[in-house]
Amino acid sequence: MGETTQTVEIGYGGNERLVMNMGPQHPSAHGVFRAILTLDGETVVAVEAVIGYLHRCHEKLAEHLTYVQYPSIASKTDYVAAMTAELAYVASVEKVGKIDVPRRAQYLRVLVAELQRIASHCLWLGTWCMDMGGALGGGATVFLYAIRERELILDLFEALTGARLLYGFHQVGGVRYDVPAGWAERCRQTVDLIERRVGEYESMLEDNAFFLARTQGVGVISRALALDVGVCGPLIRGSGIGYDVRRGEPYSSYPDFDFRVPVETAGDCFARYRVRMVEFRESIKIVRQVLDGLPEGPLSSRPGVKSVGQVRIPKGEGYTRVEGARGELGCYLVADGGPKPYRLKWRGASFCNLAVLPHIIPGHKVADVVAIMGSVDPVFGEVDR
Amino acid sequence: MPPVLHHAIVGFVVLNVVIGLVTYVTLLERKFAARMQSRIGPYYVGPHGLLQPIADAIKLMLKEDIVPTAADRWVYNLAPLAFLIPCILIFATIPFAPGLGVADLNIGVLFFLAVSSLEIVGLFMGGWGSHNKYALLSAMRAVNQIISYDLPFIFAALVPVVLAGSLQMSAIVDAQRGFWFVGAYGVLGPLAFLAFLVATLAAENRVPFDILEAESELVAGFRVEYSGMKFSLIMLGEYAHMIGTSCLGALLFLGGWLGPGPAWLGPVWFLLKAMVVFLIVTWVRWSFVRIRVDQILAISWKLLLPLTLLLLMVTAFVVAAQSAGGP
Amino acid sequence: MARNGSFLGETLQLAGAVGRAMGMTLRNFFRRPVTVRYPTIKRVYPDRFRGILALTYDKETGEENCIGCRLCEFICPPQVIKVEMLKAEKRNWAKTFTLELYSCEFCELCVQVCPTDAIIMLKTFDLATADRRELLLDKDRLHALGLAHEPSWATGNRLRDMQAPPKPVPEAKAGTPEAKAATKEAGKADAKEPAE
Repeated sequence: MGETTQTVEIGYGGNERLVMNMGPQHPSAHGVFRAILTLDGETVVAVEAVIGYLHRCHEKLAEHLTYVQYPSIASKTDYVAAMTAELAYVASVEKVGKIDVPRRAQYLRVLVAELQRIASHCLWLGTWCMDMGGALGGGATVFLYAIRERELILDLFEALTGARLLYGFHQVGGVRYDVPAGWAERCRQTVDLIERRVGEYESMLEDNAFFLARTQGVGVISRALALDVGVCGPLIRGSGIGYDVRRGEPYSSYPDFDFRVPVETAGDCFARYRVRMVEFRESIKIVRQVLDGLPEGPLSSRPGVKSVGQVRIPKGEGYTRVEGARGELGCYLVADGGPKPYRLKWRGASFCNLAVLPHIIPGHKVADVVAIMGSVDPVFGEVDR
Repeated sequence: MPPVLHHAIVGFVVLNVVIGLVTYVTLLERKFAARMQSRIGPYYVGPHGLLQPIADAIKLMLKEDIVPTAADRWVYNLAPLAFLIPCILIFATIPFAPGLGVADLNIGVLFFLAVSSLEIVGLFMGGWGSHNKYALLSAMRAVNQIISYDLPFIFAALVPVVLAGSLQMSAIVDAQRGFWFVGAYGVLGPLAFLAFLVATLAAENRVPFDILEAESELVAGFRVEYSGMKFSLIMLGEYAHMIGTSCLGALLFLGGWLGPGPAWLGPVWFLLKAMVVFLIVTWVRWSFVRIRVDQILAISWKLLLPLTLLLLMVTAFVVAAQSAGGP
Repeated sequence: MARNGSFLGETLQLAGAVGRAMGMTLRNFFRRPVTVRYPTIKRVYPDRFRGILALTYDKETGEENCIGCRLCEFICPPQVIKVEMLKAEKRNWAKTFTLELYSCEFCELCVQVCPTDAIIMLKTFDLATADRRELLLDKDRLHALGLAHEPSWATGNRLRDMQAPPKPVPEAKAGTPEAKAATKEAGKADAKEPAE
């Protein structure tokens, strides 16, 4: 306990300390996030995080929308990785209602979740490098390359569902759209191209002394701190603990696929970067396995959406977690027998990951704050819901 | 014609040429950067974006001039001028061709280096007068950085001076008739040129050393409170300084106006070489993430300064040995 | 990254890394830009593109498809659709149909529930305007949009058929309403989506 409780006095005044606001409007705040930094020269002494600028009452809204209507809203929690967010919701509804999902639908869910993970990591890489390198500098170059790759995946999703960012692909009991003709071949080509490009980015960044100087030893989350605060996703896998929900509590049809869960022990920004770069490759591997083994069958165990109250879940409650691109995204559902939930609670991965910031930022320079924020990779839809 | 009038006219012409060049160099940089990022740069204003700098200039002139209420008025208003004037003044000593320059001083390089260091005053005035924590923080970082990198810059620029034996720019170019100084004595010239480029990057606050402005942290640094014409003066000053040091690099290391062809082709060669130096700097800018301020200072004091001092000493020895051994 | 500790080694490694990074930017300099010069050149939209909404007419009879059943109104998550039904002898109509496009989520649920394929989405999204009131689409505007732009492949019946395949049609006497309905169903199912 001694390691994690730090008494840091937030000095509002004094001649040497400067209280600086990295306000909600900031080119690198990754969304709307306010960090009140207390600086001693160039070193950050304390950080106070203020969230809530993106609160849109998801949980209250869920009590007024039926199980059929809500999945397209669920995608707006983690809007960068919308497929996994919808999956969290429908998986929890299916768990509480004990609804089976046909195998083809499960494979398709895995396919889009992994493609979404690749797209989300493309965005992470681009915005992180842009934060570190400046919007008018080398960072913008990596940003534009990464977005170029992400656009390819979004084109795939557009051919599959019709939408590019917020899909409404999942429904209770299965999925809503099937793979069009020629899509599987296009998907394979896209994934091959992305694998090559990821190799290019690694070569551009990895033995670059500037990049290493900015990321190695910066923002170290020790193993004990990670367990104490309860971070998840690439943060905990970069600190030596190999917990991945896809292995720890497999959902959908993940046990059918062979993939590696990357673990690094250093706990700094570079370790989290390595974890995500390996996750790129592992997701590509899973996508190929799914495409090879996609079974025939119905897309849903429930008939197609025809009326608004068509899904009724009997009384019960349960919690389901999925491995989103940022960590463990969970959904706790209390059902009361009607077509709407009684209570829905989202466990946002970024919400729990942000809790580690006051522990790891003090002691670093201002320039490291952006590097650390980028490696934590928050999305404020998850944080504020 | 009285010489004063003659000099005034020449100065006026050079000033306009320089400002025009600087404005269009922004377009060149944008197009070049865009192509490296898989996109097209400005395209719609004029054919292939050729009128974009003019549109930007008109836009900036029409913008509202906002002065923060708590700003120190005199300091705030004078800072863009204090920043721009040294950056334009350095062009006074740059000869575009033999005899084609405002003033080819016999201490040309010394004048250039001394005046270009004066921009730091304007920079700090801007940061201080803005009454803004971000601006002040960035101005302090800038003073730190520019002062640290001016020393290696000066020493790297002195290597061709020692090789040529004169501070006069035209004499340095004349001394490169046989071979350009960038290839002098095997590794000496290239190392000096490299050190010059790195020091230029840092003295210009260009990525990877642009911790001063760090758009994602400090949002435009000391310029953050400026808008409209004052902002455009600061931008002009930055790019003018950039072009000025590129011209200096072309003169000192790449042979200035020397090139095949008739003599009137000299200024064309000179501009081409200056653009090459500028494009190398731009290329570096768009390829790297920035490094932290303490790492920047470490590179300057621990690596560049000893290296350039060493280079200068070795150059001096070599030149002395040659002249002692020669007739 | 193996640092062999010597100054020269580190410097060479740094030079190599710098060279690699700059080489990659240079390589991208010579690649074709990925910019699509919209609006002069438009991208090819996929068949299932979810664009703006429209109401349709029946292909054979030319009547409005909408029967005013209000299923789309009930299922819309942000509740942007408002319908009033007009009852008549043979079939019902929609007296008024308003859709607030500025609040629409483009989730396609209304398209999915429509029993007569009346409401569809189009393959265009370009309805930018300076006045938000122009985005409050009434029935005439929706029908006009439906005639003006290319519709998306997805209609209610096709989406429902995709999500749960239709049951096999039972044997029926020729000429009876069941057989006519069965052949009509089979005809609709044949309208497969064109390949990518």
